Amino acid sequence: MIARLWRSLAGWGINVAIALTALRVNLMRSILTTLGVMIGVFSVILAVAIGAGAQVSVTESIGALGANMAIVVPEPDSDGPRRTTDRGRLTERDIKAIAKQVPGITATAPQLRTRVQLVAAGRNTTTEVIGATPDYAIVSNVNTDEGRFIEQGDANASSRIAVLGQTVATRLFGSYDPVGETVRINRVPFRIVGLLESKGSSFGNDNDDLVIVPLGTLRQRLLDTPAQGPDDIHIAFVGFDDEPSLIAGQNEIKKILRDRYRVAKGKINPFTVRTTTEIAEVTGEATQIFQALLVAIASISLLVGGIGIMNIMLVSVTERTREIGLRMALGAKRADIRNQFLVEAAVLCVIGGGVGLALAKVAALAFVAYADFPAPIGFGVAVGAILFSAVIGLAFGGWPAIRASRLSPIEALRSE
Amino acid sequence: MIPLLETDALVKDYMIGGEILHAVNGVSLAIQRGEFVAIMGASGSGKSTFMNMIGCLDTPTSGTLRLDGIDTNSLSSDELADIRNRKIGFVFQQFNLLPRTSALDNVAVPLIYAGAGRAERQQRARAKLEAMGLGDRLENSPAKLSGGQQQRVAIARALVTEPLMLLADEPTGALDTQTSNDIMGIFQALNAAGITVVLVTHEPDIADYAERRILFRDGKVIEDEPVKNRRSPAS
Repeated sequence: MIARLWRSLAGWGINVAIALTALRVNLMRSILTTLGVMIGVFSVILAVAIGAGAQVSVTESIGALGANMAIVVPEPDSDGPRRTTDRGRLTERDIKAIAKQVPGITATAPQLRTRVQLVAAGRNTTTEVIGATPDYAIVSNVNTDEGRFIEQGDANASSRIAVLGQTVATRLFGSYDPVGETVRINRVPFRIVGLLESKGSSFGNDNDDLVIVPLGTLRQRLLDTPAQGPDDIHIAFVGFDDEPSLIAGQNEIKKILRDRYRVAKGKINPFTVRTTTEIAEVTGEATQIFQALLVAIASISLLVGGIGIMNIMLVSVTERTREIGLRMALGAKRADIRNQFLVEAAVLCVIGGGVGLALAKVAALAFVAYADFPAPIGFGVAVGAILFSAVIGLAFGGWPAIRASRLSPIEALRSE
Repeated sequence: MIPLLETDALVKDYMIGGEILHAVNGVSLAIQRGEFVAIMGASGSGKSTFMNMIGCLDTPTSGTLRLDGIDTNSLSSDELADIRNRKIGFVFQQFNLLPRTSALDNVAVPLIYAGAGRAERQQRARAKLEAMGLGDRLENSPAKLSGGQQQRVAIARALVTEPLMLLADEPTGALDTQTSNDIMGIFQALNAAGITVVLVTHEPDIADYAERRILFRDGKVIEDEPVKNRRSPAS
């Protein structure tokens, strides 16, 4: 049994040797043929890698938003047409009530947001200013590179202090440390107390293009259109301990708000509560579709490469009919001839697949280096690509190989 | 002792344009071990078809063919391949060497199909090439060998599995007279050493190297007699 297996393995080894010789003898043609598979494997692997990279970057983007977080906005919770009159109001008192009644909440971050002009050191820029409470740092998972974040004392005193995002800081101060400097926000001077750690970008938005000031300060000094009430806010982040309490908390928050504003059953809720889990699901699905589409398109090139292999193998069989006849005369069995051509096709494909894999790896590294886009190629993908290449070779080389093995020895020998 | 080769009413028909052509039409003969036989005949006489059948490259339409006592009609294509590999050595007019492949590797090809290991293949192929006086040409590809050298490589390849019979189809057809005589001398020497040689040719001069001459016409044997005034390379 083992001896037989060994003999059959040794037989295949000989076929590999014969195949390599045949491929070397027709080197240029071999290279051109394998180019098709190379490009095919290259595109499929790169498509998989880009898709995987998109998923990584989505996960990172959602992580940058803050994990296990609900986002509450006074926008009507409906996909239909929206009228401004449908908008609800959201106040700090609502958020306090939510924090008190919903279990599993770690911190809440009521915010006001508006666009402002910043002037400092003779330069100016526009950006979004967030009026936030000290807990914003907890919910949104932000840290400072330099200086400090807003503290309770700043909030109580409505101090004119600001924490700058990296992008804003660079635009105004270059590489110079801005902490301790003064920035004029809509002409009002603010002392810069901190510089935020970079959070990269999410979905094309620069997460560092912002400035944060105490909520009360923004309300009093920076709002063009005064808020309807003294503690109105635009948006609130609600952080939760974990995912289950977030999922449960989402409905709790909706219910509390409906109750507080006496929204009748059947009427559109004037509040929208989104969770990071939902956002992750939706964008995750989108990236999966994106990846599947990429791979599907890339697979077409692999299919074309496979047909190229079949074409060249048919040519090879025709061209070498006399050789096949000779080998049969010298004692080759049908299986020997079939295996010879099968192995030849598989070797072509595996070499093409290997080079394609290597090129895809280079391209993936280039993506990381020049586009700052992750394109991971897992070990499984690499091994799969090589195996799949071999399968392509066997599948597309199969018919030519069987044709070769069915030739009659005498007719094959007689052919010119 | 049973003959090496024995045919009984051997027939091979071809369908050509709806008509049956009897390429070989009832041939019964025997070839003994150690004989040197020349099969002659004009083109279309059936000598090549007959040779293909005794070489197990083609199967008869009817009749029987016994090779070394084995009825080949009952054999599968794999078993026929095995017989070609172990019992028959082919020598062709156009040498049929693999291009861009060394003489050593060319000679080793039948041993691949015999299932021999690499070291054994190399060693046996080298021995046969050295016996053919090509010990210094082992690594040469066919393009770097003369016609006579190529045919000697082909003879080495035919001998490498130690077959019972050499089947040579117009082995001198592509060679000049001097080289042809050298090659025929090699066949005579091999025959003297015990191997059966069956030679197919249309040249009477070449047939005169054999000891028995069989003449084909219209698919039948019309003459079968010993060669008078047998030639040797010196003459």
